[in-house]
Amino acid sequence: MKYIFRFLFLLLTLTSALTCFLEAQDNYKISENYSGLSFKEFVTKTESSLPVKFYYKEDWVKDLKLGDYKNCPSLQCVLNNLLKGTSIYYYIDDLGNVFLTNNYALKVSDTTVEKNNKFLPPTDYSGSGETQKLSGNVSVEIGNPAEKNKPGNVAISGYITIKDTKDPVSGATVYIQKLSTGTISNEYGYYNLTIPRGNHLLQFSFIGMREKMINLKLYGAGELNVEMNSMLIPLKETVVSAQKSVTLQRFEVGVEKINIASFRLLPTSLGESDIIKSVLLIPGVQSVGEGSAGFNVRGGTADQNLILLNGAPIYNSSHFFGFFSAVNSDIIKDVTLYKGGIPSRYGGRISSVLDIGTKAGNSKEFAGNAGISPITAHVMVEGPIIKDTLDYILAVRTTYSNWIFDMIRNPDLHKSRASFYDINGKLSYDLNKNNKFEASSYVSHDAFRFRSDTIYSYDNSIFTLKWRHFFNSRFFSSLSLNNSFYKYDVSSRELNPDAFDLSHKINSTGLKQDFNLFLGRHEVNFGLDLIKYSITPGSYLPSGDSSLVIPNTLEKEQAWEGGLYIEDKLVLTSYLSVNIGLRLSSFFSVGPQSVLLYDPAFSKSRSTITDTLYFKSGQISSKYAGLEPRISLNLRISDKNSFKINYNRTQQYLHLLSNSTSIAPTDTWKLSDYYLKPQTGDQIALGFYQMLFNNGYETSAEVYYKVIKNMADFKGGTNLIMNETIEEDIVNVRGKAYGLELVLKKNEGRLHYSVGYTYARTFVKSNSKFSEETINSGNWFPSNFDKPNDLVITLNYLFSRRCSIAANYTWSTGRPITFPVSTYQLYDDILVHYSDRNKYRIPDYSRLDLSLKVSGNLKLHKTTHPNWTFSVYNLLGRENVYTIYFKKADDRILGYKLSVFGKAIPSVTYSFDF
Amino acid sequence: MKTLSFFALVLFLLLITSCIAQFVPEINEEKQLLVVQGLITDQPGNSIIRLSKSLPVVLKSAPRPLGKCLVSLSDDIGNNYIFSETLVGTYVPPPLFQGVISRSYTLHINTNTGFNSLSYESFPVEMKPVPPIDSIYYVKTVIEKPAEFYKGINGCQIYLNTHDPEKKCSYFRWEYSETWALRLNFDVPNHNCWISNNSKDIFIQSTASLSEDVIKSLPITYITNATDRLKTKYSISVNQYSMNEDEYNYWDKLKRLIEQTGGLYDLVPSSIPSNLWCVEFPEEKVLGYFSVSAVSTKRIFIKDNFEGIIDPYSDCVSSTLVGGPDYIEGLGVTVWTLFDTPPIPFSSPRFRVFTKTRGCADCTVRGTNVKPYFWVDDK
Repeated sequence: MKYIFRFLFLLLTLTSALTCFLEAQDNYKISENYSGLSFKEFVTKTESSLPVKFYYKEDWVKDLKLGDYKNCPSLQCVLNNLLKGTSIYYYIDDLGNVFLTNNYALKVSDTTVEKNNKFLPPTDYSGSGETQKLSGNVSVEIGNPAEKNKPGNVAISGYITIKDTKDPVSGATVYIQKLSTGTISNEYGYYNLTIPRGNHLLQFSFIGMREKMINLKLYGAGELNVEMNSMLIPLKETVVSAQKSVTLQRFEVGVEKINIASFRLLPTSLGESDIIKSVLLIPGVQSVGEGSAGFNVRGGTADQNLILLNGAPIYNSSHFFGFFSAVNSDIIKDVTLYKGGIPSRYGGRISSVLDIGTKAGNSKEFAGNAGISPITAHVMVEGPIIKDTLDYILAVRTTYSNWIFDMIRNPDLHKSRASFYDINGKLSYDLNKNNKFEASSYVSHDAFRFRSDTIYSYDNSIFTLKWRHFFNSRFFSSLSLNNSFYKYDVSSRELNPDAFDLSHKINSTGLKQDFNLFLGRHEVNFGLDLIKYSITPGSYLPSGDSSLVIPNTLEKEQAWEGGLYIEDKLVLTSYLSVNIGLRLSSFFSVGPQSVLLYDPAFSKSRSTITDTLYFKSGQISSKYAGLEPRISLNLRISDKNSFKINYNRTQQYLHLLSNSTSIAPTDTWKLSDYYLKPQTGDQIALGFYQMLFNNGYETSAEVYYKVIKNMADFKGGTNLIMNETIEEDIVNVRGKAYGLELVLKKNEGRLHYSVGYTYARTFVKSNSKFSEETINSGNWFPSNFDKPNDLVITLNYLFSRRCSIAANYTWSTGRPITFPVSTYQLYDDILVHYSDRNKYRIPDYSRLDLSLKVSGNLKLHKTTHPNWTFSVYNLLGRENVYTIYFKKADDRILGYKLSVFGKAIPSVTYSFDF
Repeated sequence: MKTLSFFALVLFLLLITSCIAQFVPEINEEKQLLVVQGLITDQPGNSIIRLSKSLPVVLKSAPRPLGKCLVSLSDDIGNNYIFSETLVGTYVPPPLFQGVISRSYTLHINTNTGFNSLSYESFPVEMKPVPPIDSIYYVKTVIEKPAEFYKGINGCQIYLNTHDPEKKCSYFRWEYSETWALRLNFDVPNHNCWISNNSKDIFIQSTASLSEDVIKSLPITYITNATDRLKTKYSISVNQYSMNEDEYNYWDKLKRLIEQTGGLYDLVPSSIPSNLWCVEFPEEKVLGYFSVSAVSTKRIFIKDNFEGIIDPYSDCVSSTLVGGPDYIEGLGVTVWTLFDTPPIPFSSPRFRVFTKTRGCADCTVRGTNVKPYFWVDDK
């Protein structure tokens, strides 16, 4: 195979050199006058008299009549005169083939040598329409050369696809270094760029893809579709310098596309590469501690993150209560985190959007991957059902860890069980060029049994249908329908009269219609969202015949959430672009529902109830609506730096009730209602981005200020499970957060690294006139995840294609904590009184992880490609404090510090591709 | 709902990798707050108000009673009762005072500590009726089941049954007091003693989520054979108190804060509002609660054969000489302990004991030789 490539390459080099020679020399002489002939007649005559063959579409030329061209002795001259002022261009190759193209011109560059059989295949040309797919590094002319000197900018656009699978490449960077301008392809792989006429060097790059350079001679508007090659050798992924200069181009401040390739090289904990863990390496993202589900973005709580899997929300994004992410990293195609600058098409959460897209199956051939780590085994298969049209991908991951418990001698643990699995699948169907369908599904299950009496389980299931329709090359739509379901169950059979089954369920069905329209300098996106929610806050049922538990099911919550949005990305000048977006969101909570009314002169409690309102089925019990402006401005100061500013308003109608420090497995989702107002977030962010040393280094500085209204906190010690009157225990709080995020990245050469430092503060303030609903006397106090200093260093070094090493180091200030300050006795029981909320801090956090990745074999023809990953989590063995707690020990209260990972944890993962 | 103890569940995950070490916090504040343990019952001689001050958390917990306060009680029909201080910090109502079911009571406190005199007051609290305890019974049981590598712990589980046919009491609090007899191996003056121990946990339960106010087989306490409580004769008395929902929530939240810690999902701690407040400074926190409860009591005795009860006096026989050749004439004592001082004074020439520890020959080291009034001797 390798030799064939080499041979082809040589051949191409030769023919190309010859081409130059022939082109310069050859002139097809014309002596006759073809005046008055139709183009078709002209072709017939010319083909009979000259060694040429024409390729064209009859549609384009049916109106063309040849004129009387004086002093026009060559075919080239006749065609030049004939086609002047039309959108048709021609190209004559060395074999006498005359290719006509509409809207763009083809030309083989003088300097480019590579020209494989994908480029200008005559058979392809006549059949496949107007645009040509470009695979090599080539030269292209677009527009009529005659308009070369016309002033002004013109727009080019096109689709970027993966050559092998024909999948669109979303998030690819199109960049012109000289102009320091560029853009990013959207989710369909479509890009649109407005640039001055003239010669440009276009650079197309994306993670895991070979970078592609195109010499563009631009005379007028046109289309340029590009196919990119994925890197053949997986290890090569580490040296891809993608995303370079991308930050200069994006409109939004605070958008991070996670580098899947280097993400795979990150050191793992317990052998699992984990998407949420890599999100935590991004400046501005923090968590309460190791093993806590959820993450905090720029001072927002964990439920303020919208985590989307193929467009559908995931309500529980972790396994093992937070030790692992719920989504198997094998199937992830791309991940984008919007920590600010949330586009108008997203709504419903106020702090961030984590959009996870999964891969489509391989449309050419069967392939797969399997592996084993200390905790899980996983397998992924993909392939075509109908080649190039219908393909599938399926990934399964499951634990096999229960044997560990059998080996533990402690009787509590001996009978314990913990397991999970998840399944991801996707079917992609390309009906035709303009209609593409996709169905994907995700199922996960976790089960725990502690000793033998209490069983915990939770389940996620997500189903998505998507239809992409292309009205034309500048207007397309995407319609998707999704359903997300999450539930947990806790059951206990220890004491017969008390034996119970407790469960909580949330089900949402969403319809989303998005339109993208490209109009010159404008990219207009608009659409709507409609979500139907149904929540069973809790049901507590007897288990077994002797149970005396009263079956109790809390009143179901039902609501509709709607969103309408429009945004315009507008390129004003080559250095200034704006994105103006507006989202209208609304929320309707519907009956049947009963609402307790309270005496407004007192804090809500059982004793201040005055009346009850009843709402019939379908009757609206409460409604909220709001306008959410989203505005960004990008000012390119020079080709090396840019300045961005962004304002965002977001609203949230769905809340996770949690009164523990981090998300607990029994936390429940709750909709806004008569009392619980929607949360509102306003964020303003500024960013400055600078490329250094010939763009080998990228630096950025972002600052933000954020205000959040109507967050829910709770009165001390509130029990959230089966709480029928949660409004009595909710304390309305507001939040504010501000921070500075500094990043230095080097993405070239064998050594890649990035250094991120964040200074950020986040505060909360209770908001009530009643002392029962006041925390820390109504003063601002640090939130649970206020960690002012945060330093993250990641590093990748590629020894060879077979061997690479990665390390990351994290240091941050310890999170705030509430300590007991005094102790007292009641009925001989020792009790404690706590300090003001979050008055103290746990010690600083510091951790170093290291991993070594070795590929066993790089030969393409070998059936399997093994990979070994050796990794050490917390290499320094530092006992990072997760929490400090106080327990009664005989006659006093003693403090203890708990470290989740108190030692260095080595792991080995083996996997192979087939 | 008590079984939803995440602390326990999460622990097993942590055991694999985590580590726990002692930690001494640097806390630079010491708030001395008023602590009120107030209880008014429907039984005479059972109502008692204890006032104390809180102390820094780093110190060994000990009561710090607050004396010289003025304590009074008023009810909703205009009666007023002035309390008197018996011990420092302990205040009792007039001798014949007895709470009345469904009447509401309000507590008034005035701290009279020098110039810093403050008034405290409670919300009015209604007295709810309480049903009698149906039964207290015990089961010889193995609380920790043996496993492959583990023997388990043998002992005796004590249970309680109660029910309220009128469904008037859904919130309960219990206290128990256990007493056991102790008999030494030697016929010395103090060879019969009784040891008493009070419950040290606030023990509450709600039947609000049950279809009937029935509490069946509620575990009160577990006596392991690692103590000698069951060796001779054991007695336990349980007080059952009624509560209203507010009080139940107070104890429930308070306990939740101290019990649900030490895991990954610790509750965010905060102070729980009491039903008392300071009149002059409403911002000042008051610790404790003013409880108004009806009470019912039941006592049982346990005298049974339990396997494997440890004997704390097993060393005494071999290390003690009764009479015998080593009797030392003229020493002036007949009971002599080698390691304890002072020697027990001579009382009767009949007892000549040389022993390792005083406890071997004098049961008052552990208990009292005064027979409790409720104690029933075996026939």
